[in-house]
Amino acid sequence: MENIYLPNFARIKNIQTETYDTKTFEVEFVDPTVRETFRFKSGQFLEVSVPGVGESPFGVASNPNRPESFSFTVRAVGSLTRALHKLTVGDTLGVRGPFGNNFPFEEVKGKNILFVAGGIGLCPLRSLIEPMIDARTAFGDFQILYGARTPADMVYKDRLEEWEKMPDIRFVRTVDVGDANWTGNVGVITTIFPKANIVVENTVCFVCGPPIMIRFVILELLGLGFAPENIISTLERYMKCGVGKCGHCAIGQKYVCFDGPVFSYKEMTKLPEKVV
Amino acid sequence: MDTYLLKKTDLPRWVELIQKSNDVFAPSRVQGEVFFSPISFPPDLDLLTGTATLPYLPPKDFVFPQAEELFSFSQQGEEVKLEVPKISGRGTVLLGIRSCDITGIGWMDKFYQENFKDFYYTRRRENLTFISIACNQPVKNCFCVCCEGGPFLDPEHDEFDIQLVDLKENYLVESKSEKGKKLIALAPELFLKSAPSVKEIRDQLEEKSRQSFLTEPTSYMSFAIRRITENSVPPEVWTELGERCFDDGGCTFVCPCCSCFGVGYLSEGGKGCHYRFWDSCDYSGFTREVSGHNPRGEKGERFKRRFYHKLSYQYIKRDGRIGCVGCGRCITACPGEVGMPAVVERIRNSKAQRNYQSGKPEESLG
Repeated sequence: MENIYLPNFARIKNIQTETYDTKTFEVEFVDPTVRETFRFKSGQFLEVSVPGVGESPFGVASNPNRPESFSFTVRAVGSLTRALHKLTVGDTLGVRGPFGNNFPFEEVKGKNILFVAGGIGLCPLRSLIEPMIDARTAFGDFQILYGARTPADMVYKDRLEEWEKMPDIRFVRTVDVGDANWTGNVGVITTIFPKANIVVENTVCFVCGPPIMIRFVILELLGLGFAPENIISTLERYMKCGVGKCGHCAIGQKYVCFDGPVFSYKEMTKLPEKVV
Repeated sequence: MDTYLLKKTDLPRWVELIQKSNDVFAPSRVQGEVFFSPISFPPDLDLLTGTATLPYLPPKDFVFPQAEELFSFSQQGEEVKLEVPKISGRGTVLLGIRSCDITGIGWMDKFYQENFKDFYYTRRRENLTFISIACNQPVKNCFCVCCEGGPFLDPEHDEFDIQLVDLKENYLVESKSEKGKKLIALAPELFLKSAPSVKEIRDQLEEKSRQSFLTEPTSYMSFAIRRITENSVPPEVWTELGERCFDDGGCTFVCPCCSCFGVGYLSEGGKGCHYRFWDSCDYSGFTREVSGHNPRGEKGERFKRRFYHKLSYQYIKRDGRIGCVGCGRCITACPGEVGMPAVVERIRNSKAQRNYQSGKPEESLG
């Protein structure tokens, strides 16, 4: 009988410092069989653990087309995340998963794509942005709007510069508060909506970020004429098991870890609790 | 199904034979309170009669212990080794368990074995056999009759192994599963042929038992199910009920159908373990995130959640039945007097109010 609660060990290949409190870990499984058979889909998450310290869910932040090594981004806020930040290249950590549903990919081919990301909300979206870039011609207009509190809070800075230069991606970023070197947009993400020339017709929008940002972005999108089923986001809840058993992440009859974390705004409005 | 008669005076002999390859637990008195404990000799026969005897805690810890190690780890050089604790290969037999508690384990079976088989749950469950006793006489807090939880266990029930029906001098023995048949095969000479007329007596006892439930706490579950499913219970009713809740988690710990767990981590000197333990949706920390954000910080919201899980049609559809078996333990445990029947009654006395943000619930009653 399979024991879904037992982690496999993965070794850290690379650590990228994203911001003053955020790092991205690129890891690969130690066991060659696990390494070769591991697959995940955009939007799925992993349960990452440090033995004796804790275990938490993290969305996979890397391209599912390259599953042999994969990455996730961690902000140091609690005991587990602080322990993860102390690890160095070559150290191992526990990984279970991937768990949860995934972003639509095949289903949205032929459509225009809009991403709206806030802060480290870009991490799970990156697992969708990258394979879409791999298959860029399969999609129509392709726009990414990214907002962070300050320039220092932006993640994947090198990659953002590459996106900015790609001719077939419309990439706009903004910060709530600029610094001495910042010459770009200043203002919360919704302030760039009017000048972003957002295409509404035949467009699917993916939104990730802090709850307050998601709430205002969705209001704005609905105002622009987006249908609730074309606004897709992820829900976050405290969770332990990742497989629909511990009960912590349940909302209505849905388990965020099992039935989610990806939900359309339409699905969210049908839950018996207010979630956005 | 096979039926026999077993003389009550022969019960200890049968139990002794069962004990050779099984650990036998039965309701026993521990300092004035009844718990499932290793059976003593002579057994407390007065707890094995047709009168409902419900140990303070349900038997769920036989399949889902209050705390259970998931694995231990130890640093061995560069490597970390994980080890899953072994459990005894002996069978476990619960003697004197009641229909409601078996129904509760049936609920757990469905939950912990849907989508995938929970390793820790399944290995304990596979070792477990029930010798239940039908309740000819409910007691004060019983309302199983409202929840399809008793008073007799329907032989069609998936969890049915052996049911004893108290016929004063004898037990009528009903045996269905392979596990049950094996226990009877340990002492076939004790199991006498039962006359066809016994079936009639049994059915009369069941009917008499059904009629002897008290009007309180029996409850109009269907009414509450509809209101909760429609999300039409006024929010102030949840707030009011929540204010009577002491956040003690007692109802969840004594509930045969409460299955939530937390996970803890221990570590000292490169060794330690991860373990799971009963958690409670009553606790404000149950949904609190590391940022401090808490989607169910309000007591009323937590209360609503608990009863949505137990009674909504959405969950009935998912789990196959309501998450209440009518054992009445929450009535005993709750210091705020908001056990299941009181909540159902409060909902019944409230006016319906539509609370949806937009649209209709995903699953309607139709």
